[in-house]
Amino acid sequence: MTSSSKAIAAFPLLILTCIGTLSYWSEVRNDQDRGWVTHTLHVVEKLQTLRIDITQCETGQRGYMLTGKDRYLELYQAGVTQVRQDLRELPDLTADNPNEREAITRLDPLIASRLAELNDGIWVRKESGLLAGAEAVTRANNGEKWMGQIASQISEMRDTEAALLTSRLETAAASTRKIKIVIVGGNALAILILLAKYVVIRREIDKRNLAERSLRLSNERLERRTAELSETNIELESFAYSVAHDLRAPLRHIAGYSGVLVQDYASRLDEEGLRCLGKVSDCAQKMGRLVDDLLSLSKIGRQELKFQNTPLDVLLEQAIDDVAPEWAGRKLEWQIGDLFKVECDPGLVQQVFVNLLSNAVKYTRTREHAVIQVGQTRQNGERVVFVHDNGVGFEMQYAGKLFGVFQRLHKARDFEGTGVGLATVQRIIRKHGGRIWAEAELDRGATFFFTLGAPEKNTSRAGKFPIPEGQMHVTQS
Amino acid sequence: MSHKVEILLVEDGVEDAELTIRALRRYKLANNIHVAEDGADALDFLFCRGAHEGRRFSHPPKLVLLDLKLPKINGMEVLRSIRADERTKAIPVVVLTSSKEERDLVTGYNLGVSAYVQKPVEFEQFSEAIRQIGMFWMLINQALPPGAFAASNAYGD
Repeated sequence: MTSSSKAIAAFPLLILTCIGTLSYWSEVRNDQDRGWVTHTLHVVEKLQTLRIDITQCETGQRGYMLTGKDRYLELYQAGVTQVRQDLRELPDLTADNPNEREAITRLDPLIASRLAELNDGIWVRKESGLLAGAEAVTRANNGEKWMGQIASQISEMRDTEAALLTSRLETAAASTRKIKIVIVGGNALAILILLAKYVVIRREIDKRNLAERSLRLSNERLERRTAELSETNIELESFAYSVAHDLRAPLRHIAGYSGVLVQDYASRLDEEGLRCLGKVSDCAQKMGRLVDDLLSLSKIGRQELKFQNTPLDVLLEQAIDDVAPEWAGRKLEWQIGDLFKVECDPGLVQQVFVNLLSNAVKYTRTREHAVIQVGQTRQNGERVVFVHDNGVGFEMQYAGKLFGVFQRLHKARDFEGTGVGLATVQRIIRKHGGRIWAEAELDRGATFFFTLGAPEKNTSRAGKFPIPEGQMHVTQS
Repeated sequence: MSHKVEILLVEDGVEDAELTIRALRRYKLANNIHVAEDGADALDFLFCRGAHEGRRFSHPPKLVLLDLKLPKINGMEVLRSIRADERTKAIPVVVLTSSKEERDLVTGYNLGVSAYVQKPVEFEQFSEAIRQIGMFWMLINQALPPGAFAASNAYGD
């Protein structure tokens, strides 16, 4: 997934989170707004109650003044208690509004004066009777004045609260509208983004499908090509085989007839004639070896590997036996290290050892004290087999030619050979999925390294030649 | 027939035939050699038919030297026919070929070849191989008397 599409994927999530937060916050605000509406209604109700309670006081007092009955006195007293209670609660209720508080401070003395007047009336009635009370009330004659002021003060306050209520109801309605907008708008936006995302993903899937299809097509093409190539390869191999095979017959005849000449007509040839005849049969033999080597090279190309878990030590031992005739009569020191077990075609890998050892034997021919070392080492986690000799070596600049067919780094006069041996070795190693390479220095020996198949999983120490002394056993000629 | 044929050489190559005969003669191993140049002639000779109608089964060759690449009928087919018939199945057949193909070896031994020899390029080695083959099959090996198989089977019945 690209970074831009990742951002697109994260976006709806962000939007939904915002919507959620906004909704919650709006809901809290809305709750508060509704709370204020309720509060205002409460204040209005309290003011109403105050008005009624004051009226109760007046009714109680008037009743007592007229009848002198205790019932009215009790009514009056209860009213006074309730008025006092109301006046205690109102400042708390209007704490949010300084104007209302001020109004209350104006209301307070008015009510106190009115209550004092009422109380005076009751006292006169108690002490001096009906007529004196009436006279006192008439004399004071302030009741109407106080009550008018009180009523207008309360209605003023109620008007204020009514205005407050209207504005608070509007605020609450507005916040409800806001919540609706946030929820509907936010969800619409999220849906839009998800749709866009769907389109983007759809497009990506289409693109990927297209890429997969073209990959499959090119894979199929590649497979066809590989099949064609391996078919061509097989054809070439069998062509090489039949050429080599058919070359063998005339060669045998050349060698045969020159042999007949030597056997039956030698007496009729002079020395030069005999020498030339010898050359003919030498050349035929050399070509015979060449053809045989080519045959075995082409055979490796054609044959299927027969894998078997094989201890390389055993193959090496057999190979040493095989090359024994090649160093007969010479002094040669073998230093053999422990080798590992590996899945390989034992016949072919033995041929690798035979060819490498045969080379080592051949190119140490000029050494008075010839030493050949074989062992294992480790490079980049791969187990590597090496064959080292202290022979004539070669110049590293020609190392690239080492494994080519018919490529030779030494004059045939000095060291005989067909130039097929190392090509064969390389072909066997490559068929196993391994690698072969060489390190050498002119006149100071050569070392051939090879691996067989896939590297091991654990990449441990990368040891280098030479091998530890303790792992070797030495055989002396 | 005045002479009893001792070796049937099945070989289409003139040079190969000549060199083989030379080697055999050199060691005085073959006075009577018949050369068949293709598989059909070899079978006619062995089964006393066609050009060889006058021959009798009572005088089989002591040895058949058989090349594999032959015109008309190839060497393996010739070998199969020889081994399939009671009158010829005891005749020693040595394959003498330039092929060392494992497939050919397997087929040869499956069909009951007596020996399988790859012709060496080197003439000395070639001569030596021919000498040893001739010595063993002509002089050392005890051949089955003609008709012995048929007779023993008759007793069995």
